[in-house]
Amino acid sequence: MLARILEGAGISTTSISLVREHSEKVKPPRALFVPFPFGLALGRPDDPELQHRVLRAALDLLNETAGPILRDFPEDAEPGDQPAAPLQASGIAPAAGVQDDVAMEATQMRRYHERWLEKSGRTLFGLTGIPPTQFRGVVRFLEGFAGGQDVDMPERPPDVPLPNFIRYCADDLKALYFEGHLTMKPAAGGAEIARWFWGETAAGQLLRRVRDRLDGSDDPRWKAAAFGIAR
Amino acid sequence: MPRLDRLPQISRNNLLTFPAQVNDSAPFVRPGKPLAACRLAIVTTAGVHLRGDRPFTPGDQTYRVIPSDTPTADILQSHTSIGFDRVAIMRDINISFPIDRLRELVTRGELGGLAPYCYSFMGAQREAARIESATGPEVGRRLAAEGVAVALITPT
Repeated sequence: MLARILEGAGISTTSISLVREHSEKVKPPRALFVPFPFGLALGRPDDPELQHRVLRAALDLLNETAGPILRDFPEDAEPGDQPAAPLQASGIAPAAGVQDDVAMEATQMRRYHERWLEKSGRTLFGLTGIPPTQFRGVVRFLEGFAGGQDVDMPERPPDVPLPNFIRYCADDLKALYFEGHLTMKPAAGGAEIARWFWGETAAGQLLRRVRDRLDGSDDPRWKAAAFGIAR
Repeated sequence: MPRLDRLPQISRNNLLTFPAQVNDSAPFVRPGKPLAACRLAIVTTAGVHLRGDRPFTPGDQTYRVIPSDTPTADILQSHTSIGFDRVAIMRDINISFPIDRLRELVTRGELGGLAPYCYSFMGAQREAARIESATGPEVGRRLAAEGVAVALITPT
């Protein structure tokens, strides 16, 4: 739809499509359907060669003289090691004897996360605006919320509703752990990290409880936040 | 992928009931010059933005502006759906926002240049009337004013 709007403004567009069925209906002017899972539009992370092949195939559509065009990127390029959809918390049983001190665990993860930052120079951590060094406050906030308390944080901007802020807190907590885990195990894939986070960490169990409280609400905004944190 | 038959039922149903527009034809503007002479902008629905920007919320129909020379360290993603594996974009922003790859194409002389700005929308929009009537056309006007010949549209 966006492609059609921009084309209407005189811009030539070429789109990467992850859902062929939708592109067949919407008919963007030029679209390359790629056989990759959501989150992997360009193929594989840290694989510039494959990413360039995808880009080239998308940009080649600009040479066509008429449209709409929906072309398939070769099926045999599909990364065989990528699961079709991510593992969800409900499919992962918590291990026996998971410790419950999230604050201490998060402090340990912060050290791994610092090394991730030094090595990669990048992080997806930052949606709350609260730095990792002050993240124990976020953990206490989430624990209070999960425990049924009426809690809030002074860092929550007044125009960000509480469930949205809780989601940002959960996303930052996940980023701290997931990226920290990548320091410990650089080759770990998403499924392995999900099994570890939801199965073996105190933070994973805390987010399950946060999800449960949000999901127990009648407010659709709370339910939506629950759906975005774990299911 | 995602081949629908390989997805969990909840994701498959979500996609099958998605209110996709149905069109018979498409507007079609040819670039009029080779790619090596074109200025290109990424327009993404990956929900990425500058670190200091206001994060997107689900269903947010506004957009964010990302200067093309932004270091990738300064780009965040607030499209955090658990319907996709975020480990990929943690490792490599180019998986959804291929800014480094495009810079390489410019260096190789295969692409004329990058536009001064890229634009980002939130993904997984089931209701997009405001994008269609206001924010989408606004980005179109901005791209045209910035001399952009080609927009590469990427999802998450």
